[in-house]
Amino acid sequence: MRHDTVTRSVKTGLVAFACLSYLILVGIPGRIGGAALPSLALIAALVFWFNFRRNEDFRTVPERDRGSTGAEGKPGWQIGTNHAPAANDTVPLLPAGISGLNLHLGLAAGATTGLLIAICSSVIVAAIGNGVSIQPVFDKMVPLNVAALVGVSPGQIAQADVSPFRYLLQTVYFAGAGILAALAVTTGGARLTDAARSDRLPVNLSAPKILAAGRLAGLALPIVLLAFIVLLGLPGVSAFGSNEGTVRLLLTLVATGSGLFAHRLSRPGRERRIVTVLLGLGVLMMPFVLDQFQNSVMGLVFIYVMMGLGLNIVVGYAGLLDLGYVAFFAIGAYTYAFLSAPFSSPYISNLLLLLNISPDSPLLGYWMALPVAMLTAAIGGILLGIPVLRLRGDYLAIVTLGFGEIIRLFMLNMGELTNGPRGILEISQPSLFGFAPEAFFGLLSSQGWTFLLALISSALIAIVAIRLNSSRLGRAWFAMQEDEDVAEATGVHLVRTKLLAFAIGATFAGMAGQLYAARQINIFPENFSLFVSIDALALIIVGGIGSPAGIVLGALALKGLPEVLRGVDEYRIVAFAALLVIMMIVRPAGILPSPRRRVQLTAPEEQGPPELSDGAEEDFREPLEKKAAPLNGPEKDEAQ
Amino acid sequence: MTALLSIQGVTKVFGGLTAVDNVDLEIAELSISSLIGPNGAGKTTLFNCLTGLHRPENGEIVFDGRSLVGLRPDEITERGVARTYQNIRLFGRMTALENVLVGQHLRLKSSHWSAILRTAGQRAEEHAARESGRELLEFVGLEGQENVVSTNLPYGDQRLLEVARALGSRPRLLLLDEPAAGMNPRETDRMMELVHRLRDERDVTVFLIEHDMKVVMSISESVSVLDYGKKIAEGTPMEVRSDARVIEAYLGPEVAVQGSAEAVGK
Repeated sequence: MRHDTVTRSVKTGLVAFACLSYLILVGIPGRIGGAALPSLALIAALVFWFNFRRNEDFRTVPERDRGSTGAEGKPGWQIGTNHAPAANDTVPLLPAGISGLNLHLGLAAGATTGLLIAICSSVIVAAIGNGVSIQPVFDKMVPLNVAALVGVSPGQIAQADVSPFRYLLQTVYFAGAGILAALAVTTGGARLTDAARSDRLPVNLSAPKILAAGRLAGLALPIVLLAFIVLLGLPGVSAFGSNEGTVRLLLTLVATGSGLFAHRLSRPGRERRIVTVLLGLGVLMMPFVLDQFQNSVMGLVFIYVMMGLGLNIVVGYAGLLDLGYVAFFAIGAYTYAFLSAPFSSPYISNLLLLLNISPDSPLLGYWMALPVAMLTAAIGGILLGIPVLRLRGDYLAIVTLGFGEIIRLFMLNMGELTNGPRGILEISQPSLFGFAPEAFFGLLSSQGWTFLLALISSALIAIVAIRLNSSRLGRAWFAMQEDEDVAEATGVHLVRTKLLAFAIGATFAGMAGQLYAARQINIFPENFSLFVSIDALALIIVGGIGSPAGIVLGALALKGLPEVLRGVDEYRIVAFAALLVIMMIVRPAGILPSPRRRVQLTAPEEQGPPELSDGAEEDFREPLEKKAAPLNGPEKDEAQ
Repeated sequence: MTALLSIQGVTKVFGGLTAVDNVDLEIAELSISSLIGPNGAGKTTLFNCLTGLHRPENGEIVFDGRSLVGLRPDEITERGVARTYQNIRLFGRMTALENVLVGQHLRLKSSHWSAILRTAGQRAEEHAARESGRELLEFVGLEGQENVVSTNLPYGDQRLLEVARALGSRPRLLLLDEPAAGMNPRETDRMMELVHRLRDERDVTVFLIEHDMKVVMSISESVSVLDYGKKIAEGTPMEVRSDARVIEAYLGPEVAVQGSAEAVGK
């Protein structure tokens, strides 16, 4: 049986390598650039995992029954909870269901793939080292993608300015990162109990050892990547030639993604704090590493993240379907525009002249205008909230939809106040202590500065949202969502709670709107159409309602992916739509659903009592809640 | 014993139907009282009037010396009246402990700013709330279940959880709407014991609607009977049991003529 397993895993590795080679020949890595390997390895590892999990499902019942007795009977396999604190302290990344067999297969497959790639690369290196001219060979193949895969630009090969050493270094680096990634993914999600149930593991390769290795790999990955990004950021280092920009983008994305991995894998306490800091560093480094275009896309993405987080309070936490969320975004943007652009309506300039202020200079800078924009948006939220207090469900959606349109039409038609369709031009840029940001960071472009601001704001908003959600206000919101009448009879002040949700959500939209106005420089009423609301709502749903991490992923998928897919040009919208459809079939609750949604969308008989302490938003809760864990597994087994 | 709750002439009309018709009631402090009556007699409607879900057209409801009429449900809860529901209405996707924490909502005072800043005071309050929530779960017999999502609890436990949630607001008067409905005899006994302990250990006055006559007769100190929205009888269980009008309401006029008091006791 063991022999069978090994054969299977090696086969899987070969298949994976074949797939990778095919992708190379088709030319995908050439478009994505040199960071292809870690990304592809991650994807491949995920595919393995899905595949193995399906295999596991076919033989669930007999295997589990046997497993529960077999684990006790076998001498090498007495793994109680107290024997393995390492795995118990970590929060599983992927749901249960991975068995030891799967672990083993994934590992072997990942290693095989990595090894094969390393061999191929060293053949190339050897060829270059021996003076063989590679380029004609590659030309006959598909345009130099193999070179791109291991991180050397076609130009460099053409000019033969590639030293075998650096080539080898990069090959090893990427192969290593790929193996690390595969290792982390396949082992990261495993639960020791599941591994212990399967008696198919080789004796000398114990589950705790594999798990520990996988955990360490997962922890090491972001550090390695970050170090590499830092290296890239050093002056004079240009590793990837024409692909430089893309590589940097992907590297930072992979670094933060693996940082999230590591965060889940790390033990609470010091280890987790270190990983969090590294993760934060990785994210904060992005604006400095990316080029102008990427920064501008990411800036927009994170403006949408801000909106998504705000809308999530209204829709996800309080359960009030708001389709007119763009209204507050517009209010924030126009408030800042009024305060900082040279244009001002006759009304305002007359007022200013009365007050002896020159109407031509901006009234307030970005930072002074921030509280004003937030406050105006919050007031807008309350003004919308009051009339819809008694409305529920569809009716609420329609009224809010109307409100969003009213604000847009107001901006469009109140020409004297808002300059109508001509918009407000030359909105001033956010400064840093009165200086342009370029004065401080030579590295940071103006778009990078917007992105950085959006990042920081998103982080602040996320913290506020998570904390509010885990406080008594969050419980009141959720109770209200579950049963409004009972919530009121239990002591929740409905009016206050609803208005707070609207006001807080609107405040964040106002912040986002202000940053958006600064980013756009010129704003027009058409910027604030219904589609902004729909996008904001869609990114929450795609990402997972109620889950801040999901919202970031949703925004990346919805606002970022179409830009990344520009390489595929005319097919990009089709590809994007297909991705969305697949997503909704595979993960109907969103990419990273909050634990509560999972409760709702999975049939109750399929699962035992779910524990609510494994989601990202629950991280701040007291560890006491984790006592629930034993309720999951053992009781279910006894029942069967 | 003074009257904790006194209801005078309360009338609630839905369209042409007078669901509660000029009802007078007094609930003594630290008593266990029952409200019985055939289906559709207006018992739950009366509860809804007491807790502010309905506003009575007429009449006065005085709790602890102050009128409850016209107050919002949450204000009434604040005054110290809590309730459970006939058809269980828990916050389904929340865990047992979270349900109880929502019950405590009114008694938690930390501001939302302190929640954002996670001040020491807020954390201490949250911690205390969790502790007392756990303690309440233990009190009703749900120890160890705090992290179970409430829809996944067995039926009887869901009823117990409703009691725990109601206790979260530290009520002085607890209205139980058919606490033993659908329970097996063992669960019913547990519920009855709980009702006694509520009064004896928590100083909560209990007013309950119940159809199970065994429960009503054995735990209540006074029983009121509603029929077609009108109060038709009141008194100790023994008195009510032998009241001709009650028997008529439950079993129809012919049986009442036979005067079988035992029929009600069944």
